[in-house]
Amino acid sequence: MSETNLYPGLNLGDGHREAHDQAETTVFGFWVFLMSDLIIFGILFASYASYLDPIGMAGGPGPQDLFDFKSVAIQTAFLLVGGAAYGGVSLAVKYDHGRGKVAAWLLLCAALGAGFLFFEAKDFITQASKGGTPQVSGWLSSYWTLVGLHGVHVLSGILWIFAMTAQIVTRGLDDVVKVRLSMLGVFWHFLDLIWVGIFPLVFLVPLS
Amino acid sequence: MTKPNTGELDPQDSAGSEIRSYAVGLTASLLLTVGAFAAAMSDLPLRWKIACICAAAILQIVVHMRNFLHLSFSGGQSREDLLLVLFSATLLVIMAGGTWYIMSDLSGRMHDTDAAMHEVQPR
Repeated sequence: MSETNLYPGLNLGDGHREAHDQAETTVFGFWVFLMSDLIIFGILFASYASYLDPIGMAGGPGPQDLFDFKSVAIQTAFLLVGGAAYGGVSLAVKYDHGRGKVAAWLLLCAALGAGFLFFEAKDFITQASKGGTPQVSGWLSSYWTLVGLHGVHVLSGILWIFAMTAQIVTRGLDDVVKVRLSMLGVFWHFLDLIWVGIFPLVFLVPLS
Repeated sequence: MTKPNTGELDPQDSAGSEIRSYAVGLTASLLLTVGAFAAAMSDLPLRWKIACICAAAILQIVVHMRNFLHLSFSGGQSREDLLLVLFSATLLVIMAGGTWYIMSDLSGRMHDTDAAMHEVQPR
């Protein structure tokens, strides 16, 4: 069981032996990078929580004035379904469904990620027009940094998806592409994980 | 497509169970999200709301790590990955939790003007 459940995208087993072996070290290295990313996000969470009081808001607009339940729910739905859709990529690679299917699942992930970014950008613009720009208070600075950094990650994930789609078209599904796809999978699922921290702590707790 | 496919588990079988695992993960994840939103909009006392939201978040993180990122204690590389994640999480709890604790303590001591007034005025 553990042999066949290594990575999303590359729990390949005996049928893909060489790529499977290569994936172990490469993807582990990528995990180490992601953990440094996790530390950055965690520290930003801590500053957000520290500024979440009247002094941190410095007389500027607060969560009740700026946040919109419905939009947060829509963004969350886009991101969660988009994350799960990467399971389609992983399984299509593992069970040799052909590059057309892999590319189709990848583009579905990118589309859902883009939907998320659209609503997030819309929220940022609304908030800025209501006077909630980053320089107004410490709380707003930490909010824009934390949520903005996550948004930048999603954007780079989408660019990475396009790059991988191009590689699938030009080189086909060779071992190098398979290992890269499994790293992209870890990255994409990791962004979901960060959002699972963001939507309860950044949006739901201050609004309740 | 050129897969030799000898002496393995039936690929159809394991494909089915993996699809089920992703489906279970997605369902659990969506249910926990809806639960967190419902708790935030409910009429419960604030303390309970926050407890519900945090519990849902922790459960959802576990679901994502298990069903989507395939981390587990079952051995091999997924165990090493999980140990790396848990170690990083420990560092994070010390740094982020410590930051939050120190800052809120400091804030309580320096800005709690009401309490400061009461302490100073009786003298």
